[in-house]
Amino acid sequence: MNDAFAGAASFAALTLVKTAPILFAALGGVLCERSGVVNIALEGQLAAGAFAAVVVAGATGNPLLGLVAGVVAGALLGFVLGFAATRFAADHIVAGMGLNIFALGACAFGIVVAFRRPGASDEVAALGNAGEAALIAVALCAALGMHAFLYLTPWGLRLRACGENPAAVRDAGLDPARLRTIACTLGGGLTGLGGVFLALAELDLYSDGMTAGRGFIALAAVIFGGWTPLGAAAASLVFGALSALQFGLQRSGIPSEAMQALPYLAALAALAGLTGRARAPQADGVPEERRFD
Amino acid sequence: MDAFALELRGIVKTYAGGVRALDGVDVTIARGEIHALCGENGAGKTTLAAIAAGRLRPTSGSVTRAGNAGFVPQHPHLVDRLRVWENVLLGREPRRGLRLDERAAREDVAALGATYGLPVDPRARVETLDAGAKQRVEILRELAREPALLILDEPTSALAPAESDVLFDVLRALAARGTAVLVVTHDLGDVAAYAERITVLRAGRVAARFERGAQPAAIAGAMIGGELPALAARTSRATAPCFEARGLEAGSGAAALRGFDLEVRGGEIVGIAGVEGNGQRPLADAIAGVAPYRGTLHLDGRELAPGRPAARIAAGLRTIAADRQREGLILDWSVLENLALGDQRRAPLGGGLTLHRGAMRDRSASVVERFDVRAPSLDARVSMLSGGNQQKLLAGRALAETPRLLLACEPTRGIDVAAAALLRSRLIEARNAGVAVLAISLELDELFEIADRIVVLFRGAGAGEFERGAFDRARIGAAMAGVRGR
Repeated sequence: MNDAFAGAASFAALTLVKTAPILFAALGGVLCERSGVVNIALEGQLAAGAFAAVVVAGATGNPLLGLVAGVVAGALLGFVLGFAATRFAADHIVAGMGLNIFALGACAFGIVVAFRRPGASDEVAALGNAGEAALIAVALCAALGMHAFLYLTPWGLRLRACGENPAAVRDAGLDPARLRTIACTLGGGLTGLGGVFLALAELDLYSDGMTAGRGFIALAAVIFGGWTPLGAAAASLVFGALSALQFGLQRSGIPSEAMQALPYLAALAALAGLTGRARAPQADGVPEERRFD
Repeated sequence: MDAFALELRGIVKTYAGGVRALDGVDVTIARGEIHALCGENGAGKTTLAAIAAGRLRPTSGSVTRAGNAGFVPQHPHLVDRLRVWENVLLGREPRRGLRLDERAAREDVAALGATYGLPVDPRARVETLDAGAKQRVEILRELAREPALLILDEPTSALAPAESDVLFDVLRALAARGTAVLVVTHDLGDVAAYAERITVLRAGRVAARFERGAQPAAIAGAMIGGELPALAARTSRATAPCFEARGLEAGSGAAALRGFDLEVRGGEIVGIAGVEGNGQRPLADAIAGVAPYRGTLHLDGRELAPGRPAARIAAGLRTIAADRQREGLILDWSVLENLALGDQRRAPLGGGLTLHRGAMRDRSASVVERFDVRAPSLDARVSMLSGGNQQKLLAGRALAETPRLLLACEPTRGIDVAAAALLRSRLIEARNAGVAVLAISLELDELFEIADRIVVLFRGAGAGEFERGAFDRARIGAAMAGVRGR
């Protein structure tokens, strides 16, 4: 009885730990996509957040400064995506792919420069268990906060309108390019915080490939959650639980690759309409054009 | 009196690439005046409207406005999935603290609608509204900013006649309150009936100015710089059975088709009249074979199987799609490639492993000439053409050879009078050559000009049939409104 209870409690705790980075990235993705910019650069933003956090925490010995650096790094990549997508009308998928390749490569190179060896950083001052718990709480609150922001405030309405029809937003006297860039920057910052969680809460170092596709799982959560913060949070929890379950099933004979495919299958099911009427924002991924005559 | 709402002086607009859209245009509009801006496609109307609205900067010249300007574009700029109140008040949302004050917003929008005689349901989602209601929302959004000048670009292009009348009543009431109204339109019926003053643009210059009461023929003449060409004569000829639809059911909701029967004979033009949303769309989609339906369709005695558009093309059906940019043409492709679409599988264009570029070029050159498509070259991208030229291209493709059945959906929507006259003549010539032509149009005047027979659609079923010679606007209008004749 006590064993079962302890088992359930540790499973729940592990689920939350596995959920938090996916959730941060998924919320970043929701913000970005509701403004109309497809963000497949979540993976790169997670890596950049993790890398910057480790480098700054290692250099200063202060994990909180590392946290700030991780958020700034994610936001910077988000800004670049937003700027490319709006001012240069770049294809969002191409821009996102480019950012992923750039970020993952730059981080691998940066590790060599900063720690004089390839592959992984030294162990640095991390946030510890209290920091981990606090960040999990922040992630869950961010989901609620973003819901309130999107659906109850004027700025949320404008941002959603931007993802549906930027021409209407411009008619209303607002600048859709600016709104999109802001949304991408804030979303990038949130995703960067997911990277901070990976590097300074779950672990205390950066290693190449540590994001392990979580950015794409987060993208799946955005879709499975119907492009809403609460839906994405629920999907992230499901994916986090699946990930936690892998530890328990390692001896059961079910190949872990099969489990790792589940988030993508879920996203496919959502895209195929099996989970109700989840619809992407109408202007998601559509570069905005000015046309007269 | 110095009560101008808008004064444009010496407006010149040169686009990148050196195209001079406007070349020294002067227009003044007084407060409370309804002013019409007419002209052919490419005459510079939309550019001038955008400059008047402050959305585009002129290359030179001065723009003086008494206040701000509202602009209602031809295709609605609305957020379909948001509610009416969210669309109307976007950017000016009432708030309490940090939160949206939804109740106040809904009340504001309802009050605004009542003030201007534009009834809307503030809580309705825009995607559930018909074209007329969407336009009301769009106008309200502009009026919420209390503009001194309201500009509407082709406001009647998606409206039925009765709806247009209501719209102009609203605009008159608005003008009576002192707002200036600038209507950009190609519809000379609207212009003659409602505008107090008319400015005609041609090739970027003011070609003529008229006062209320001017003859539509004179205005049309100024637009095209000469006489309007007469339509092709209809030669009488024997008709032969060709196309038949029995018990057609298609679509869903209010616009569904409910057991519709129709016959179109070779050598006649049958016009489908009706207010938008009475089953025209499902009818066209069923005949083109692009949407599911129940009932039977026969062409030349053979049944057309559902869901096989290519088989229909092979059987001799050609379609002029209602929405040229979304359904008809691939805008990023060239004139040449667009003109081959639909016939790429068969000789002379296809049939082997590769397309026959020579045959494509021959056919394109012939279509471009017969339909007067003004394109820089056959390799020019279709997106570079004006709307009128795109439409001529679309119709030219359908009539490149002599089809058995031509399905013409809104064949002249939103294009200028000269281009429309040309296309109507081509339809009549196709009829003379024995083609069965089914023309679905919201423009009753168009059907009066070309149709041998008019069938009225009301709520998805036939509500009356009228032979040429017995066309009667009042009776057809009554049938369109669902009033049963005796």
